[in-house]
Amino acid sequence: MSTITESLNTINSLEEMAEGNTIIHRLHPMVKLITTMLYLVLVISFNPYNITGLMVFAFYPIILMALAEIPYKPLLKRLLVALPFSFFAGLSNIIFNQQLALMIGPMPVSYGVISFISIMVKTIFTVMAVLILIATTSLPKISYQLLSIKVPKIIVEQIMLTYRYISVLLEQVSNMYTAYILRAPDSKGIKMKDMGIFVGQLLLKSFDRAENIYIAMKCRGYDGNYLYAKPSPLVKIDWLYLLLVSGILSLMRFFDLSQFIGSFL
Amino acid sequence: MHMADALVSPAVGGIMLAASAGAIAYSAYKCKDDLDEKKIPLMGVMGAVIFAGQMINFTIPGTGSSGHIGGGILLAALLGPFPAFLALTAVLLIQALFFADGGLLALGANIWNLGFYACFLVYPFVFRPIIKKAITPTRITVASIVSVVLALSLGAFSVVLETLASGITELPFATFVGLMTPIHLAIGLVEGIVTGGILVFVYKMRPELLESSAENKKLPMNISIKKVIGMLLIFAVVMGGGLSLLASSNPDGLEWSMAGVAGTPELEAVGDVYENAANVQESTAFLPGYTFKSSGEEGSAIGTSLSGIIGGGITLLLAGGTGYLIYAVKRKKEKAA
Repeated sequence: MSTITESLNTINSLEEMAEGNTIIHRLHPMVKLITTMLYLVLVISFNPYNITGLMVFAFYPIILMALAEIPYKPLLKRLLVALPFSFFAGLSNIIFNQQLALMIGPMPVSYGVISFISIMVKTIFTVMAVLILIATTSLPKISYQLLSIKVPKIIVEQIMLTYRYISVLLEQVSNMYTAYILRAPDSKGIKMKDMGIFVGQLLLKSFDRAENIYIAMKCRGYDGNYLYAKPSPLVKIDWLYLLLVSGILSLMRFFDLSQFIGSFL
Repeated sequence: MHMADALVSPAVGGIMLAASAGAIAYSAYKCKDDLDEKKIPLMGVMGAVIFAGQMINFTIPGTGSSGHIGGGILLAALLGPFPAFLALTAVLLIQALFFADGGLLALGANIWNLGFYACFLVYPFVFRPIIKKAITPTRITVASIVSVVLALSLGAFSVVLETLASGITELPFATFVGLMTPIHLAIGLVEGIVTGGILVFVYKMRPELLESSAENKKLPMNISIKKVIGMLLIFAVVMGGGLSLLASSNPDGLEWSMAGVAGTPELEAVGDVYENAANVQESTAFLPGYTFKSSGEEGSAIGTSLSGIIGGGITLLLAGGTGYLIYAVKRKKEKAA
């Protein structure tokens, strides 16, 4: 099934990217987590009619992608998947708010169009920021940081375990699906009436798998607690990055570069 | 139904993160004391199953379209509400990070919409009572359908409230609800039937799995209704507050004023941004009386926005150029080395 292979590819390619060794990859995960969250908050805090102020935030993903040597194609592909929902939410603005905002030459532009563009730009920026985070910081690294901000251990264990087994389960589903389709060549997908048995089988197999995993963990000394290495402290470059990037981002929020450039025209 | 970062305001995103964090902390606390350590790997694997299960498309007879399972009720029925909620949280986080399904700021809203209702409202107060007397295939099927429809509708309704309180979309409340409800009722019905089919199969093959979670000796299931109602009340007040804030500043329900939409006082303190916003706003006020060809005072207001948009284009080009420059320098260095 194409979606399953695609998901596997996505996870694999993002995992590979996260293994890079650039200045961004080497930064402390906590620093990247904080700056990403700050970026997201600042971007979505713009009101729906201010698209000029928003533009300067394009610098962040573009510079980070260049510094971290992240290839454009896979990220853009993910982005395309995320866009449709925002597109339809934004489309309603065009329909429901037709009040004229400005004219570009002979072309009228309504507030609805402006807020539509704003939603799309925000979607692109926020999705890019999150993808860049995961493409430069592996999920285990992020999860360990969650521990240091007092996220309960059991949640972190959940994230790690689920993440570990997603690719295993996806492969299993893919095999089961192939087996099904080979026996039902005319079927476009699994018939609804077979879903109970199909997913039910998957569940039963997974219960057994979980049992085996538990036994294997037990054999290796698991007593209900994961052991974690102490996370490394922030070094000078981390602090520098944190201060610099949050400073610049905050400045960008309050200084409209587009208007500034526009004022010279 | 995953909400994206771009569709929530910082306030709504923050509140929902806090609400979900509360529910997570409470579930973690419950699990810590009462959970069998055996269940930890099971929860992880079940999370992965839900993740993979959502990718199995099945064909819906007579419609030519396809659907997939959501999994909240399924997880709650197999694991019990608290572990199910934690497992769902992990799945949603991974989906947000790797698949741009929902975002990090909207994560709280998504956990709430897809997890809270299913695990803490519908499962304990609808699903369990139905199968408590006797577990039979019919009861399981009925419980599943009713529960999934309810959980999905509540989630969809919350999406409407959160989006409107965020002030991002301009869909009127009634239209939005009118669009979301029938779709999710239909989806819920199909998903409920499939969920029922899955649970009936599991029950027939391994009855103890369902029985143990329905009775659950180890995990006390008594979710205090007071706590659930308390959390719902807070949610209602916050969302209602956000909505009325919008409504009061939009008497006609269509034209969303800047202050009402942004809803943050800090915005007003922002010199350039605020001025710019004011400029755009100003230009509407002048609208009916003026033609745009004349370049009077109001023309300059529009001119500012137009030049601002051109400036925005130049900004984007600059950003792209900077990125290209870094790439070029890096490549040169690599070649030299």
